[in-house]
Amino acid sequence: MRPLALNALLGLLALALFLASLAVGPAELGPSESVRGLLAGGSEAAAVIMREIRLPRAILGLAIGFTLGISGAVLQGFLRNPLAEPGIIGVSAMAAFGAVAAFYTGLAGSTLYALPAGALIGALLAVLLLLALAARSGSTLTLILAGVALSSLSGALTSLVLNLSPNPFASYEIIFWLLGSLKDRSIEHVWLALPLMAGGWLLIALSARAIDALSLGEEAAASLGIHMARTRLLIVVGVALGVGAATAVAGTIGFVGLVVPHLIRPLTNRLPSRLLLPAGLGGAALLLAADVAARVVLPAGELNVGVLTALIGAPFFLWLVVRSRREVF
Amino acid sequence: MPSKPGWRGGLLKALYRTSIASFTLALSCLSAIAEPARVMSLNLCTDQLAMALAAPGQLISISFLSRDPMLSPLSEKATAYPINHGRAEEVFLERPNLVVTGTYSLQNTTPLLKRLGFRVEEFSFVQTLDTIPGEIRRMGALLGREERAEALARSFETELADIESRRCEARPTALAYEQAGVALGRGTLADSVLAAAGFRNLASEAGIEGMAPFPLELIVEQKPDIIITRAGEEDAPSLGARVPHHPALRAFSGTRIGPFVPRGAWSCGGPFVIQAVKALAALREEIAPCGEAR
Repeated sequence: MRPLALNALLGLLALALFLASLAVGPAELGPSESVRGLLAGGSEAAAVIMREIRLPRAILGLAIGFTLGISGAVLQGFLRNPLAEPGIIGVSAMAAFGAVAAFYTGLAGSTLYALPAGALIGALLAVLLLLALAARSGSTLTLILAGVALSSLSGALTSLVLNLSPNPFASYEIIFWLLGSLKDRSIEHVWLALPLMAGGWLLIALSARAIDALSLGEEAAASLGIHMARTRLLIVVGVALGVGAATAVAGTIGFVGLVVPHLIRPLTNRLPSRLLLPAGLGGAALLLAADVAARVVLPAGELNVGVLTALIGAPFFLWLVVRSRREVF
Repeated sequence: MPSKPGWRGGLLKALYRTSIASFTLALSCLSAIAEPARVMSLNLCTDQLAMALAAPGQLISISFLSRDPMLSPLSEKATAYPINHGRAEEVFLERPNLVVTGTYSLQNTTPLLKRLGFRVEEFSFVQTLDTIPGEIRRMGALLGREERAEALARSFETELADIESRRCEARPTALAYEQAGVALGRGTLADSVLAAAGFRNLASEAGIEGMAPFPLELIVEQKPDIIITRAGEEDAPSLGARVPHHPALRAFSGTRIGPFVPRGAWSCGGPFVIQAVKALAALREEIAPCGEAR
């Protein structure tokens, strides 16, 4: 498919799901009431519901999905590893631990800024650790196993910190950090995370030419004039910013970055750089769809969106492992 | 033969009454014979009843939760007693004559203690304002302090009846909003406190039994006059505590949001709940004075 057509198609899909996300919620607002509430006029209740509750949620679904999709695509291209993804290699889990450690210990008071600050540090540490490992051993398996270890460790530490909190209700929030959710997010969260995520997208976009050259191998890339250290820095900081900010406001949402690049890659010319934008748009569409489903399936209690992405993604992961068994092991 | 539900119900009721009466009689005989000298309380709520009723030196230990100012209205008084963590070993070492605890807490400890031969009395904490005088009297009977219990229960009943008699047509709407957007509905202590103070509980009207999530969007639609949040969470942050401070709730005018109820005042069905009823009744009088409604 031509890149322009592909991007337009995925963009329209994401837009449609963005509108669907605005239309779904426990308050049964009609279409015209919703539009009036969102833009101007309408009742006070409709305006507040649309602008303060549903709009921030839809924006976060879009932006976080985009971040996870583009991060998965760039990691798969850069590491030349079909199974690389922020969730599987432990970046999301470390970001969640960082956010939990900074927020619940009350070190920074109860300010929301503690969340992204902690999450960025966690994500950065995870990416640096994994790149150091990947540099030593090129095997796909090493990276995935290290990711499994890192995820388990940070999941356990997250639970530990929440259980140790003097607030008896903090331990109920373990599920949010392990299987994220977009429930009851507000415009504050959007301002907190969106600028950081946008910074991440920019850095990842700047690395596009380098990851194309890298698909020919490191030596070939160097002979094409690609600066390895600079590329690595762009990707490390870009992924850490994006995934860190996303996790800080929505918890760990897994598998979006794994599934989407694989589904879309056959529709591109297989150059890693050409995959970045479509993977971002596809990620946004997938997360928005999952978030709509989370509200429709269990209207009263609401499902964690991380449960749905894992239900879709984990079998897909298994299938990828089985299919590529020969290359991987 | 056609069934006669009325007749059967009457018989059951009579049986029930006699059994209750004989049970109370047995209890009072028992306590007259042996007034337990060493009593241990393993539950925050039995702590409150026991501290209010026990004779000096009779209560030898209370649960550690009673010292937590976030949960316990009597946290200062609690520092005067040794504490336990509800472990069977602690009970075993102290050798109490009576252990009081909640049915809901420590499900494994209670059977173990009974097997070890301790006398364990359990208090149910699925309760409302109506059950509290009964709980006070029961604890009084167990501790051999019937007179004090009777006085306390009487004053509770009088104060409650007094507040209830001042209710009127004006019934503002309220929502008891706990952590993470969970509201307290029908059958909860909070629901009966709201009713006694003259409020309509929106969660009960929405059909919520016990505790269940109450979506933000529905709050915005229904605009309660007051939203009661949990008091005292500044020291230990959690995301759930931020839900009642969502900008959507601040965006519309006319709703008061705050703790309103003294710390821990309605976490347990004990004599202290009357403070919650008083505070809310005063608030109701301020929002919707009875004179104007008429």
